[in-house]
Parts: sequence; C-alpha cells; structure tokens
Amino acid sequence: MAPGQQRYVVHVLIFTALFAALALSYDLVVGHVGSLSLAHPAFFGVGAYTAAILSTRAAWPFAADLAAAVVAAGLVAALAGVPLFRLVEHAFAVGTLGFALVAWIVATNWVEVTRGPLCITGIPKPVVGVPGGPALAIATLPAYYWLALAALGVVLVLYRLLTTFRLGRAFHAVRDNEVLAASAGIDPLRYRMLAFTIGGALAGGIGALYVHYLSVMCPEEMTVALTVNLLVIVFLGGVGTMRGVLVGAVLFTALPEVLRLAPTWRLVIYGALLLVIVVRSPEGLEGLVRRRASAR
Amino acid sequence: MALLEIRGLVKRFLGVTAVDAVDLTVERGELVSLIGPNGSGKTTLFNCVTGYLASDAGHVAFDGRTVTRAAPHRVARLGISRTFQQVSVFGRLTALENLLVFLQQHQEEDFFARLVRTRRVRRLEADAIARARTLLDLVGLGARADAPAGSLSYGQRKLLAFAAALMPDPELLLLDEPAAAVNPTMINQMKDHILGLHRQGKTVLLVEHNMDVVMDVSQRIVVLDHGQKIAEGTPDAIRRDPRVIEAYFGR
Repeated sequence: MAPGQQRYVVHVLIFTALFAALALSYDLVVGHVGSLSLAHPAFFGVGAYTAAILSTRAAWPFAADLAAAVVAAGLVAALAGVPLFRLVEHAFAVGTLGFALVAWIVATNWVEVTRGPLCITGIPKPVVGVPGGPALAIATLPAYYWLALAALGVVLVLYRLLTTFRLGRAFHAVRDNEVLAASAGIDPLRYRMLAFTIGGALAGGIGALYVHYLSVMCPEEMTVALTVNLLVIVFLGGVGTMRGVLVGAVLFTALPEVLRLAPTWRLVIYGALLLVIVVRSPEGLEGLVRRRASAR
Repeated sequence: MALLEIRGLVKRFLGVTAVDAVDLTVERGELVSLIGPNGSGKTTLFNCVTGYLASDAGHVAFDGRTVTRAAPHRVARLGISRTFQQVSVFGRLTALENLLVFLQQHQEEDFFARLVRTRRVRRLEADAIARARTLLDLVGLGARADAPAGSLSYGQRKLLAFAAALMPDPELLLLDEPAAAVNPTMINQMKDHILGLHRQGKTVLLVEHNMDVVMDVSQRIVVLDHGQKIAEGTPDAIRRDPRVIEAYFGR
C-alpha cells in the first residue's frame, strides 16, 4: 500500500472505533431501557465543545478537558432527562429530537462561545501521561488509532458491566414492561435516567476525542444527521446487543470506504437497507444470526 | 393490628365512582377474597393499594405504615407483592431472570456494588438463583428456566408471574384473578398453591371470579358492587346473602 493509502485506512479505522463507541453509548438508552432518544448528538456536541473550548482558550491539558467533557455532557443529559422523561414513547422521541435541534441551534448562534459557523479551530493533539511522569503526545495517526481503540475498550467494558447481571436485568425489566417492573420494586424513572445520563456522558467523552482528532469543531457535527447515522448503526446491527452494534458500526463506517461507494449512493443504500432490515428482521443482523443459530 | 387496613377509600374516574368509601382490613395470616360483578371496583382497589392509581380520598396502611400515596415500587419494597389480571412477564428475559428481577431490588440497589459485582452482591445473586430454581420447580417450570418468558404458553406465563410475586417472600400477596382463563387442571394447581401459601402463614388478598376457587380457599369474603362494599363474611354466609345474590343475578 502506498503511504497515502495506509494513512487513509488508519483514518477509517479511527472513525470506526469512535463511531462504534458512540453507537454503544446510544444503545444503552435505545436498546437497554427502550427509550427512543434522538438527543444523542446534543450530548456528543456538549462534550465536543467543552473539550474544544477548554483546550484552546483555557489551554487545559487533554485529560482534564476530556473529564470535563464527560461531566458536562452527563450533567446536561441528567438535567434534560428530568423534563424529557415526563414524556412517553412517541412524545419522548419528539421531545428529544426538539432538544437536539435546540442544542444545534445554540451551537450555531452562540457565536461568542462556539464561534458558530466559523468553527473552533486549532484544537491541539492530545498528550497523555501521568502528572510528573513521561508524557506521550498523540500526534501520529497510529498513535491516535490506539487511543481510539482504548476508548472503545473502555466503553465496551462499561457497556458489558451495565447491561448484564443485576443492573442489566433492571434496565431490561423497565424496557420489557414498565408497569410490571415497578411491581418488582424497580423505579423505572431512576433506571431510565441512569442509562440516559451514562449514555450522554460517554457520548460527551467521545465527542472530546473526536474534536481532538479532527482539531476542529463545527455545529454541523451535531445535527440530526448524526442521529440518523446512529439509528442506522444500531438498528442495522442489532439493537440491545453488543456484537450487533459493533457489526453495525463496522458496516456503516468501514465497508463503504472499502467498497468506495459514492457518498450520494451511500445514503440511498443505507436507507433501503434499513427498510429491509426493519421489515424482515426488526432485531437487525444480530437477530438474523441468532434465528439461524437456534433453527439449526 | 391488621396487616392491611383500608379506610374510606374513594377513587373516581370522570365522575364515575369506581371505589366508593370502601373499608377493608386483612389480618396477618388471613386469606380474604374480594368478589363482585365486572366493573365493581376490585382491580381499581388493588391499583389504589399498590400505588398504580392515586386514590381521591381515604387511607391505606400496611403493617402500621401509611402507603396511601406511595409509588408502586415503594409499595412493592415494603413487602406487598401483586399479580396482574393481564398476564404480564418480562418477555425477553428468561423465566429464571424474571424471578431474579423480583428479588434483587429488595436486597440492594447500590449502583457501584452492582457495577463492580462486589462479593456480597455475587453471594446474594447465587442465593437468589437457588431460590428462583426452587420456585420454578414448585410451579412446574423447572425445565423452562432458560427459555425466554415470551416463548412460554399463556398458562405457563401465569404460573411464572405467580412465582415471581413469591420471589421476595412478601408479607402480603394480592392476586388478581389467578384462575381466570386457564384450564381446569391449572385452576386446581393454582388453588393448591394458594392454600399452600396460606398454610405457610402468608397473608393473601384474592380477586377471583371462579366461585369454586373462592368458596374453597377463602376464610372471609368481601363483596363489592358498584364500588361499594355490600357484604362481608364467611363463604357460607356470603353464599346465602340476599344482597350478594341480587348483585350477581339481579332481582
């Protein structure tokens, strides 16, 4: 492979890892407590802008702005969740969509803070390390690849811990039957808020990694298009399943690059694919695989 | 002191009084049935007691504690278990997991202890699994422990929901039509299970339309009609009560 091509492959892998992590954080809400939130770009954006602003204007070190991004996005999710979870089902979906739109409009128009359409530029490459110890600048593509992979690893571990055993069971009980869950002593709102807040916080962290990678943050990064991408990934692969979401993320980000699909056709193909999946196998590819396995 | 004490409970829906100043007490260890024609307010009363509906007036106390406007999950954690008329299980959880859900919130709800699975939580979980398997065997679902609850038959789901309500070893059990829409064999099974609970000293409040079951198992029967309590007494007394006969068959 020519050096340029190699760089391109690593770039695609970084995007795949970040998208997979973001989709997993989204699936905590959509797949595990069954709340169809469309607000995820807002939390991604809050984290991204927090990191972008703190690292450029306040010159915060990477670890600190990453932590601030996670906390800020989690806080916004928790605060937004209080009124939003007064809504149920379709109303909740529409409410979260409205929230995401408002967040995007604020990012576009609050020029003093976000610079609006001019974007925040010059976001430094991350430097990781312990205070007083050696510091490692994540300046090269491969170094960034390992950082993205580590972030994906952290999200995977958290996802696994949250969605299995007693926590996972409580989430799934709320998803399957809220009324019955309450009779089992589960406070449905508490668990919905928990998934929403943690999902939002993780999205914020990934937003921070994303802007440090691109070195620029624009309002377009947090439009409804991101929600559409996440929906495709999660529903294509298999909502509520770790393997399904990972497969969905790879199919969505890596495969079209490999197949060199033209961007215009890509969305058409994904739209059609999503329709086929939702009609034929509502549990995504994971559902297809499982049915094959149990039929054997 | 009565285990469950309901005083002057009122619930209205858009001007219709579904529960009209009902008094009802259930002593510890008692097996009481609540009967009445369709729409007489039995399920509404259950929903008011368990926090699913907010009553408009009246007072409900469980074991001396006021639960009048407590949320459903709080009522459940105090030790009142209930089943639903519309059979409900967690469809995508296995039969075993369905039971585990019903105990875990009574044991701990510490987020971090659960996330990192402390030794204590893992021990509680192991004990819960053992208890769940015993209960599944009791209702004859031992072999289906790992089947998704959604794949079970109607009758099996009904038994599963019943077993789930027993999982936290509740002080008081509210059963909403456990014998409805199941075959005669299962009706007898249910009857045996209910009597078994009674022998263990559990307190049971039963809503049921199947009169054979009600007459066979109850110590005391309370009759509702149009939201009002019209009679209360032993099965024999209720059978002969003219008000009850009128309510059921008309004049």
